[in-house]
Amino acid sequence: MTNNRITDHPVLGKLENQTPVKFTFDGTTYTGFEGDTIASALLANGIRQLRVHEETGAPRAIYCNIGHCFECRVTVDDTDGVRACMTTIRENMKVDSGKLQAVPFKSKPEEWPRTYAEFEKSSKKDGVPHV
Amino acid sequence: MDKLIICRCEEVSLEDIENTANKYSCSARELKLRTRAGMGYCGGRTCRPAVDAVLEEVTGEKPGNDIPLKVQPPVRPVSLSVLGGKKR
Repeated sequence: MTNNRITDHPVLGKLENQTPVKFTFDGTTYTGFEGDTIASALLANGIRQLRVHEETGAPRAIYCNIGHCFECRVTVDDTDGVRACMTTIRENMKVDSGKLQAVPFKSKPEEWPRTYAEFEKSSKKDGVPHV
Repeated sequence: MDKLIICRCEEVSLEDIENTANKYSCSARELKLRTRAGMGYCGGRTCRPAVDAVLEEVTGEKPGNDIPLKVQPPVRPVSLSVLGGKKR
């Protein structure tokens, strides 16, 4: 917990005088200190990846760290789109990382049906009626 | 270097932007609509200067603030509950 931390900060004071705060990230309990943002508490615990890109699954973490870019957005207590760099941790806060999303409508233009007959043919193939 | 990501929200690389700008010799707005650069979660607030800079290099279009890539209010993406909707 004290790894990656400044033990004696000229403004914040000594590390041992800080109040510990427990929170969970993806189901695992971590400890940060009062006044920590989600991003700083996780960084001190060695976690840099906060989410993955919804479509490609590429890792994402802190980018601007001043609340501008929304790269560090996580789900806090079931509210999504919360910026980890701007939100201070609370006791028993439930934080979840951003996950890969399904892309059911991703297709190339050359795969699109050009006529209604083609469309009917492709939709019947699956045996699922068109909704 | 060309795989460098310019728009992180929509994961658009420098290569994509340069290729599109070269191929279609397009305006900033057209570039945005073709590649989705600047149309992601942050609303183009992070990559807009970079997209403008690439475009200026490729087509010579100077970044303006009247139509092309201007930022629309609100200042940050907010949920409807922040604007006064009911909490779940």
